[in-house]
Amino acid sequence: MLDFISDNKKSLITLGLVTVIAYVFYFLDEIRTTSVMVFGWGYAVPLVLAAMVGIIGERSGVVNIGIEGQMLMSAFAGFFGSVFTGSIYLGMIIGILTGVLMGAFLAVAAVKWEMDQIIAGVVINIVAAGLTSFFYAQGKTLPELMPVVSIPLLSDIPLIGPVFFRNGLFALSTLFIVVAVNYALFKTRWGLRSRSVGEYPSAADAAGINVTRVRMMNVTLAGALAGCAGAFLALEAAGTFARGLTAGRGFLALAIMIFGAWNPMGALAAALFFGLSTAIASQLQADEVINIPQQFVNLLPFVMTLIVLSIAVGRVRPPAAAGQPYTKEG
Amino acid sequence: MKRMRTLAGISILALVLAACSSGTTDTAAEETAAALDDSNCAAAESFCVGLVTDIGKVDDKSFNQSAWEGAQAAAAEVGGFAKYIETTDTKDYAANMKQFTDKGYDVIVTVGFLMAEASVAAAKENPNTKFIGVDQFQAEEVANLTGLIFPEDQAGYAAGYLAGLLTKTNKLGQVLGLEIAPVQKFAKGFEAGAKAANANVAVTTVYHPPADNGFGDPVWGAAEAKKQLSQGADIIFGAGGGTGNGALIEIAKAEGAGTSIFCIGVDTDQWGTVPEAQPCLVTSAMKGLVEGTSDLVKAAFDGSIKGGNFNGTTGLADYHDLASAVSADIQAKVAEIVAGLKDGSIMTGVTL
Amino acid sequence: MTITESKKDKDLGFFVRNQSIVVPIAAIFVAFVLGGILISLQGVNPLVAYRAIFSEAWFDSDGLLRTFQKTTPLVLAGLAVTVALRIGLFNIGAQGQLISAALASALAGIYITNLPAILHVIVSLICGVVVGALWAAIAGLLKAYRGVHEVISTIMLNSIAVGILDYLVSNPFREPDQSLQRTKKIAESAILPNFGVIPFGFILAILVCLLVSWMLNRTTAGFRFNTVGKNKFAASYAGINMKLMIVTGMLLSGGLAGLGGAIETLGITYRFEPAFNSGLGFDGITIALLARSNPLATIPAAILVGTLRAGGASLQFNTGIEPEIVDVLLAITLLLVSAPILAKFLFKGKAQKTANVTSGWGS
Repeated sequence: MLDFISDNKKSLITLGLVTVIAYVFYFLDEIRTTSVMVFGWGYAVPLVLAAMVGIIGERSGVVNIGIEGQMLMSAFAGFFGSVFTGSIYLGMIIGILTGVLMGAFLAVAAVKWEMDQIIAGVVINIVAAGLTSFFYAQGKTLPELMPVVSIPLLSDIPLIGPVFFRNGLFALSTLFIVVAVNYALFKTRWGLRSRSVGEYPSAADAAGINVTRVRMMNVTLAGALAGCAGAFLALEAAGTFARGLTAGRGFLALAIMIFGAWNPMGALAAALFFGLSTAIASQLQADEVINIPQQFVNLLPFVMTLIVLSIAVGRVRPPAAAGQPYTKEG
Repeated sequence: MKRMRTLAGISILALVLAACSSGTTDTAAEETAAALDDSNCAAAESFCVGLVTDIGKVDDKSFNQSAWEGAQAAAAEVGGFAKYIETTDTKDYAANMKQFTDKGYDVIVTVGFLMAEASVAAAKENPNTKFIGVDQFQAEEVANLTGLIFPEDQAGYAAGYLAGLLTKTNKLGQVLGLEIAPVQKFAKGFEAGAKAANANVAVTTVYHPPADNGFGDPVWGAAEAKKQLSQGADIIFGAGGGTGNGALIEIAKAEGAGTSIFCIGVDTDQWGTVPEAQPCLVTSAMKGLVEGTSDLVKAAFDGSIKGGNFNGTTGLADYHDLASAVSADIQAKVAEIVAGLKDGSIMTGVTL
Repeated sequence: MTITESKKDKDLGFFVRNQSIVVPIAAIFVAFVLGGILISLQGVNPLVAYRAIFSEAWFDSDGLLRTFQKTTPLVLAGLAVTVALRIGLFNIGAQGQLISAALASALAGIYITNLPAILHVIVSLICGVVVGALWAAIAGLLKAYRGVHEVISTIMLNSIAVGILDYLVSNPFREPDQSLQRTKKIAESAILPNFGVIPFGFILAILVCLLVSWMLNRTTAGFRFNTVGKNKFAASYAGINMKLMIVTGMLLSGGLAGLGGAIETLGITYRFEPAFNSGLGFDGITIALLARSNPLATIPAAILVGTLRAGGASLQFNTGIEPEIVDVLLAITLLLVSAPILAKFLFKGKAQKTANVTSGWGS
């Protein structure tokens, strides 16, 4: 527990600051603060999940720029899967599996074929955009809605309760997923093996770890999280599918991943930061508080991110072997 | 070498098989309409209607779709043929129109105000073809170009008036697409109508941040609607293509949807196009796109079409299953407003 | 070795040695076959479909002009990303740089008066190039001096550019008496002419491409670029000023993207309106990857994409196939050009290794 705190100092401080500020505002205006935080967390959920995909991949040495395509395809599959099976739960599973399938493609292309990882990702994005648009059928509606579940006790905490613990299934699981990925990556043997493969593959190889197998498995399984992110967008957030539903969130998630220094907790903090500034920008427009044109108010999250990055975060180091295929020598 | 020959051979075989199996004619599912095809459009007896969409698809549940439905219906009625081209790039407008003029189409419907200039140029170049410009205000009259325009602010005003009377919390919301003229007209009309009905009402108006997906972001629309609902709005106007649809769908999920919480759609009667919204959808601020396009195409067919501007109708959609939630008193008042807007006795006061 | 064997080796040898040309051509071919299968699933004869595309894009004079017009910004955006990749940077910001430059050129075309046509065009182009370069330089400076990863900064800057431009074109620079969001039309003297079917912009793009290729491959500056791209540590040990390189690289990259935007404005749209660009900056990434970071190869790659896009309307008009099929074709081509599968199938053991075009994120 103690090393968790010291390892994630920056993220925890950020989260702590946000929480304190949030409660201050909560004291001033309960309703507005809660609704802004709900908006912010809702915005952050797919970013967090997608960032996890990127983190797991890159920590293992594989750059995944195709998360956007994975999410889009999963959203499509999740939505139409629900429609055609008549069950939203089956749709969720189909969406997740689609993410895994596309992760498998990346795994084969980037690891087995040793293709340029960026190109593999770009291919995924283009194919996903093309296919989901080409095969889109209009007029379909979800057979049932995503249930909203409240976690007992936790959801009663003022402010934090309704925001984080009363949600649809994907949003609810997100915090737990982050903690789980963090734990797995830093406290389990799997995590150690994966990270070694991403930092110093030749040493890992010498130690008997099957670099190819670890990378392929990680990239494929991480696809499940991309599937969650995509299915979340279609089934939980929007309740429908539209062409281009993901709208660049997959790329934003990469920025979040880097912002969070390739760390699950960091990504969580970064995503929350981004989501909340987007929510605040929207609220400022709604309240007509400041007489600034909406185009500028909406720039808030992007400008704030740049400022924070320039001042506070500085240089971050990606896993040393990320992006380079590993070929066994000798 | 052998491998390359094998590859080439397999590929050619595949192509040939594909070519043979799919028939030799170049038809496809989407270009339906009446019996014929467009092989003889130049002939006097055949009536061919072409449609060029704005950026977007013809099944966007929004104005591209409505215009196409109108054109299709009209063509079918008069025994003509209709086809569309979906524009992917604003620089292609002229080229897309040319596809139709080259083939001798009789009427070309161009959808969207962005295409206004291209329509004028094409109309001047092809004086024997009739052009119908949806949402394209004609500042100068061109004989063979008819601008189908709608007073969106009137539709917005009527919807706002209804909302102003119907609200119990005196808080209304608007979840909008990009901040462009037609949307602004709807929005300002809505606000004006609401305030006219109910001086105490507060209207929250939020546009989508500038981005390519401003009209296709249901995720943002839903989140924004949720936020406005939790801040007390009980009636929300969703005007912004897919973005607005996301708002409608979210509001339909709310507790009290249809009894204390309502949503209002836009452009067409969204009761049919967005069935998920039915639980809360009390009405839609409509532009008579389908009827307007259909009427003009038929007018082109019988030769009665004129250049300049043609005022399409706007109105409020039927209350459908939620009619019981709107008291007879309110329904009567709103009907009065709609009539007043139509005959010009009521002005919205909206200027851009 | 018998005579027949050595002759066979010679035949094969020609193709093996020219793999870098053979494989892409084969890739395009296979992509068209696979696309053809998709097309036939929709009930359409693929040969008819392809004929529709090419007859419009290459054999119709208006269509040919449009093909060139579409190819031009693709070449430049592709060059922009390529130059950045050579130096080990991933410029996802070409989109923002391109649109910023487009507005700048439009404003120069509108508000600068009393210049003879040639000068007006040059000045307007330069305005675009400079603005694009500066916008990219922001990311470059942030990376060089504050260590901000260019992927984040360029993504942020893209959105920021869209927002600022949207405001500018809706308010101060809006065409008067117009509810449309756009600027006035540029002056006649600023318009880039077409020579028959060939736009001046296309010629400019080709020249710039040759220039960039020469610079990267034959000059000391280019040598430094490539060194930095291949091995950052070796480069800094060798005394190359990394900060200067990063900023210069982004300036150059942004300038190229900016030129693309400027030509779009001065040669095609003649004004600035937000809807004009449809993702050209991101297409630049695809082009650069198709070209495998070789500047000269951006030309054929751009011609391929430009052709498919220009023919798209005819495709839909004649066969009803939706334009998105083009993206699927491109993706398959990109995949086959970049993955060793096709090369291995054709050349087995003699297949050249497809080297990495990008060096990952790097730091």
